[in-house]
Parts: sequence; structure tokens; C-alpha cells
Amino acid sequence: MSAADLLLVVMVGGLTAYALLAGADFGGGVWDLLARGRDAGDQRRLISRALGPVWEANHVWLIFVLVALFSGFSEAFGIIGSTLQVPLICALVGIVLRGSAYVYRAYGGGAAGPDRWWGHVFAVASTVTPFALGVTGAALATGDLAEDDPWRPLTNSFGLVCGLFAVTVTAFLAAVYLCRDAAGSPATEHLVAGMRRRALAGALASGALAAVLLPLLWSDAPVVADRFAERSIPFAVLSAGGGAAALVLLWRHRFTAARVAAGLAVAGVLWGWAAAQYPDLVVGRATANSAAAPEANLVAMLIAIALGMLVIVPSMVLLFRLFARPDTDADLADEH
Amino acid sequence: MVGTGGGAAGMVVAAGASTGLARAETAFSLAFHICFAVFGVGMPWLLLYTEGKWVRTGDPVWLALTKKWSRAFAVLFAVGAVSGTVLSVEFGLLWPAFMARYGGVLGLSFTLEGFAFFAEAIFIGMYLYGWKRLSPRAHWLTLWPIAIAGTLSTLFIITANAWMNVPGHVRELDGKVVSAEPLAPFLSPSAPAQIVHMLLAALMCTGGLVAGVYAAGMLRGRRDTYHQRGLRVGLAVVLVCAPLQLVSGDLAARVVGDRQPLKLAAMEGLFHTRTGAPLTIGGFYDNATGEVRYGIEIPKLLSLIEGFHPDARITGLDAAPPADRPNAALVHGAFTVMVGLGSALIVLAALVALVMLRRWRRGRGGRHRSGADGVGRRPLVPTGRPWLWAAVATGPAAMVAMLAGWEVTEGGRQPWIVYGRMRVSDAVTASPGVGWTFAGTIVLYLGLATALILILRRMATGGRGPDAPALPSTRPPLDDVDDGDPRPVSPRVEADARAGARALGRGGRR
Repeated sequence: MSAADLLLVVMVGGLTAYALLAGADFGGGVWDLLARGRDAGDQRRLISRALGPVWEANHVWLIFVLVALFSGFSEAFGIIGSTLQVPLICALVGIVLRGSAYVYRAYGGGAAGPDRWWGHVFAVASTVTPFALGVTGAALATGDLAEDDPWRPLTNSFGLVCGLFAVTVTAFLAAVYLCRDAAGSPATEHLVAGMRRRALAGALASGALAAVLLPLLWSDAPVVADRFAERSIPFAVLSAGGGAAALVLLWRHRFTAARVAAGLAVAGVLWGWAAAQYPDLVVGRATANSAAAPEANLVAMLIAIALGMLVIVPSMVLLFRLFARPDTDADLADEH
Repeated sequence: MVGTGGGAAGMVVAAGASTGLARAETAFSLAFHICFAVFGVGMPWLLLYTEGKWVRTGDPVWLALTKKWSRAFAVLFAVGAVSGTVLSVEFGLLWPAFMARYGGVLGLSFTLEGFAFFAEAIFIGMYLYGWKRLSPRAHWLTLWPIAIAGTLSTLFIITANAWMNVPGHVRELDGKVVSAEPLAPFLSPSAPAQIVHMLLAALMCTGGLVAGVYAAGMLRGRRDTYHQRGLRVGLAVVLVCAPLQLVSGDLAARVVGDRQPLKLAAMEGLFHTRTGAPLTIGGFYDNATGEVRYGIEIPKLLSLIEGFHPDARITGLDAAPPADRPNAALVHGAFTVMVGLGSALIVLAALVALVMLRRWRRGRGGRHRSGADGVGRRPLVPTGRPWLWAAVATGPAAMVAMLAGWEVTEGGRQPWIVYGRMRVSDAVTASPGVGWTFAGTIVLYLGLATALILILRRMATGGRGPDAPALPSTRPPLDDVDDGDPRPVSPRVEADARAGARALGRGGRR
């Protein structure tokens, strides 16, 4: 395995972490947008509190993948930058507004407009971002790009369905994760039933969209589709199995195990796509070999990544363990 | 740009407009980002001090300061993080050829910066939301990785910029990098001076703005211990760093003179290459005549400073053809602003030090031995109204000086994006619509900045404005049990702080 291939594996790992962690944060925003009825306010607060300590760390996985892409495969980044501006700019606007609106709502105390407004901005931006990223991913698979037509990625049905699929999947993940959060504290137990319904609906919708995507993959991205049939069946099975298991586990209120199953379902999709995409980075434009930076630089980056992960992974485990236990009433009594 | 006749001319004009817009957009988004990024660097160090004091003494005033700053820090860091993400993608969107050619060379810098940012984000999550889940000491300890990672991320990112200024250790063939030493950015001769200069600038901006907030509070009559300490901590940082910044700036200018003589010429407004070059202070450089108007000229000083000899030869702008010269009017102007504001801060530092020394000597004389912590006796730091106004000005002064400094660095490198290797006009995107994204960026960022200023103002004044929710119960009830304590203000903490201050005051007078 060459250094470039190894870096690609690391990037897929980073992308998986981004999808499973930050994806769920965006999905939380989707549920914030869709919150209705008597429990809407409580649901929004549950989502907001789940995001609080972790969303910034989760977001960095995207930066990690981006940096690896532009440092390791600079030419591909140049091509992406000059053909995929529209979805990328949409994703950026979504990222900026989501993050800012979240802290403005949490810390602003209404000083810059009612919290409600920032809540809406947060929710809409959280929905736009995965959609735009889904469209971007689809364009890498089709290779249907042109420097003089920046809107093209948004005009084909495969791209649009991929965007929708990304939104649905993040919403599914978020609902599954939130089931466990809600079940953990008596103050939020009444939200479990609604979240469980949402998780089940999300799983079914994601499965249905995946079924729509497959024929579109063959018509719009034949190169990737052929390799998908050749290499990605195990990943597709993993994904379908994970999704089915998540459904059963949710049905039986086994929320912790459901998290793992849902994660595998999403990871299976990503890995199946990555395996089918290789060795193309942008189909028809850039391959792993043609776009790779000089070998010495790749090796230096891999060493830096290995050392960095030695620090980051334990820190991240510490972060998640610290906030794994839901708040209890003791926290209330402990108010300063 | 190969072509003939009108078509080629049209293309050149289009590329020119696009380059100008792309540069403006890059400058605007960088300036926006850096105004927040400096707090990510400076604030954790200040918090380490105040929270450390609280952990050691249990004094509620230190806790109140820490809590207030950590909330402001939470908002500033988040906006800095998302605007930083914009930059990493924007480089590819606006300068695709630059990223395609040199992305690999800068790989190590950006990768390491990414990890530093990772560490910062992880521990900030623990810090902001871990007040009740961690012991006070463990909570204080989470600041260390934040502070170290914030400082390191500056260091890493500046190496990338330093390499663009003084690129080396790279072999290119036909416009493609064939081999590059992985450590190339770290080996750039420009790196050490630039890193120190920027780190000091970040500390000065943070310290100045913190001092300014409390000075403004004291000008409104809130002269309690809480405000005095906030002022003291902020002012100490900005005024101690100011003279150090002079030294690091001098080192940076030497590297520039050595490696980028045209940038130095633009900074100093020197058109003719000559021996015995004068130092021109202030004034306006005229690009048409190559002269500085209304500047104060000190004969031979530039030669003396740069070459350690009154007759040393200094390169002027005329050493390069007009197409290869930076816009000296802009660069000299920005340089004047930076040096002017920096000098003013140094003068203020000297005056404050003088007053403090006199008061300390008098205090040692023994007439006002009573009282602790500046309450029972006259505080060492002068807090008369003119002094407070000066303290209010330190924050904006440091900020403007930093932005002007970046204009010097970036404007002075023009027309190159990588000095001597790639022109800005060759790196720019060919895609249309840069104007639209620029307009969108301005609207978005100005909107976010306005909202942020309103929020920070509310935090700074600490009180509820007339437009605030009338009752605490209109706030989401769950937020009240949140670790992050994200209520508009924490009145109880404020009240505790004031009560603590009063108690201390009484203790002091007894």
C-alpha cells in the first residue's frame, strides 16, 4: 500500500467519524426544525444540551479531512474548488450559521434578537449543510462537472437525492442517539417515545431513499456503479444489516445497542462508496495517483497524523466519557 | 494568458477584476477570522491566571471574572472556529491553482494546525460544560491544553504564511513541485520572527479588550474590586507585551529587509535604491512620484537601523519593474498605522510603569500600610479618568495595529502569492461569480458581527437591557440546569462577586 492509499484510508476514517459524530449534530438541527406540538420546546432543549460540549470537537473532523485532501491530493482540491463552488459555499454558509446561531442562542440571552430566531437559523442551517455535502459527494462520483457551469451539481437527480439521503441519514442518527440521552434522565423521559418514533421513521426513510439511489447510481455514475457491484457488496450488506438491527433494537428499547447498529449502517454506506470510488477522487478528473503530493510529504503527514491521533483519541474518549452520564438533579442543586 | 487582439485584452481585464475581488474577499474573511482567533490564543492564558487565583484563594471575585470571561470566550471561539473552516475551503475556491501546486508543501503545517485545533475544541468542550462534573483543580487543568494548543495553532499556521513570504526547500519543474522537504514551512527564515510577532499581537489584543471592558465599567462608576482586577489583568498583559512587540517587530523587519527588500522599501516608502537612506516617519506615499508627502525624514537612520551603518545600501522600489512592485501607498500607510499605534501603547506602558513605581515607593513609606488588594489604600495602577480612557483605547488600538500589520505582510508581498514563485494573478480562480460570493460574505459576516457585538455588550455591562426577556422563566427551563450555565447573565454570581468585594472592603478597612 502506497502512502497515498494509506492517507486515503485515514481520510475515509476521518469522514466516518465526521458522519457519525457531527452528522448526528446536524441531524439534531433537523429535528429542531421539525419539532412540533406540546413537547417541541423540551425536544429542542434536549437537542441543544446534547450538542453543547461536543459539537465543536466533532466539527473538526471535517477540517481534518479537508486538510488531508488539500495537502495530500492538492490537484483534486484545485479541481473541486473550481467546479463545486455552489454546493461548497452552501455547506460553508450552513456551517457558519449553524455554529454562530447555536452559541448566540445559548449565550446571547436575547441581546441580538430573540433566541427563537437564532433557533430557527440553527435548525435551517443544520439541514442545509448535510444536503450540500451530500450533493458534493455525489458530484465526485458522477464526475459531471464543468468549470463554466457551477450550478450543474444541483441540476441532476442523483445529486439531489444524495443530498436528501444525507439529511435523512443524519436525522436518523440523531434520533437514535437522542433516544438514549432522553432515557437517561427522569426530566426527559417523556421525550423517549417521540424520539423513538422519529428514529424508526428515519430508518425507514433512509432505507427507502437508498433503494431509490441504487438505480440512479447506475444511470448517473456508471463507473462507480460497476466498481460498487464488484467491491462494495459486503459494505452494502453491513449497512443493510445494521439498519435492520437498529430497527429491531429501537423497537425493543435497547437504545445503546441501537446506537452501534445505526453507526454501522451509516459507516457501511460511506465505506461502500469509498471502495467504489477508488482510485478516482473526482471521476474522470483526478485519481489518487495523479493528484498525490510528493511521497516524502505524504509520509511526513502520515507520521504527523499518527502522533496527533495519539493525543487526540484519548482526549476525545475523555470528553465523551465526561459527558456520557446525563445530568441529574444533583447538578441542579449544585448551581452556583 | 496567450491570445491576440481584443479577446486577450478582454480576458486580462476580466482576470484583473476577478483577482481584485478574490483578494478583497480573502482579506475580508481573514480579517474577520483573525479578530476572533486572537481570543482563542490569548484568552486561555488570562483564564489560567484568574481561575488559578480562584482555585488557590477561593475568592469569589476571581471566580466571577473567570465565569464571565469563559462565557465570552465560548462565543468568540465558536465564531472563530466556523470562520476558520470557511478559510480552509475558500483558499481552494478562490486560489485553486495555488492550492493545487503548493497544498502538499504546506501539508505538514496545516495538518499540525488541524490537530492543535482538535485539542483546543475538545478541551474547550470540557472546560465550558464541565464546571460541575470536574473538581475545581481538574477544571483549571483543562485550560492548559487549550492554552498550549491555541498557541501552537498560531505557530503552525504562521509557518505556512512565512513560507509564502520566504519560500524555500522546494524543487519545481515546469510549474509542478517535484520534491519538497516536508519541513519546508518550518525552515522558512521568516517563520520565527513572524510567529513571535503574531503571538504577542494576539495577547495584546486580548489583554487590551479585556482591560477596555473594565475601564469602561469604571468610567461608569463601577469601581469595585471586580472591575479593578479585570482592568489590572488585561492592562498588565497588553502593556507588558507592548515593548516586547517592539523588539520582535525589529527582528521581523530585519528578515524582511534581508529576504523581501521590496516589501521593506514599500513599508518605509523608499523609492530610490541608495546608501545613507533616511527613515521616513508617517506621511503619505505617492505611487505616482515615488515620494512621501508630509512625512518626517530622519537622515541616514534607515541605513543605520537595517545595515548598522549610516551609509549602508538599502534597496528601493525602483529595483524592480513596476509590474513587480507592491502598492507602496497602501503598505506604507498600514505600516505607519501599526508603528504609530504600537508606539502609543509603549508610551502608555512606560507612563503606567512610572506611576506604579512612584506609588509603590510611597506605599512602602508606610503611611497606607492597611488594607489588602487595593481597596484600603490607593491602588498601584492609576485609575483616574484619563488613564481609564487610555485603557479603553488599548484594545481597539491593538486590534487595528494587528490588522494593519497583516496588510503590511500581505500587501507587501504583492504581486506574488508565493514570493518569487507564483503570482496572485496566476493563482486566482477563473470562475465567474466571485463578486456575488464576496457580497454574500460581507452581508453574512457583518450580520454575525453585529449580533456578536450586541451579545458581548450585554455580557460586558452585565445587566439586562430593556429588550431582555422580562422573566427568567421565559428562558428554557432546562437551560437552567445546564453545565454551561448559558443564561443571559448569572446575577447570582454577580451578586456574590459584589458581596465578596464589599466583604473584602470591610475587611480591609478594619
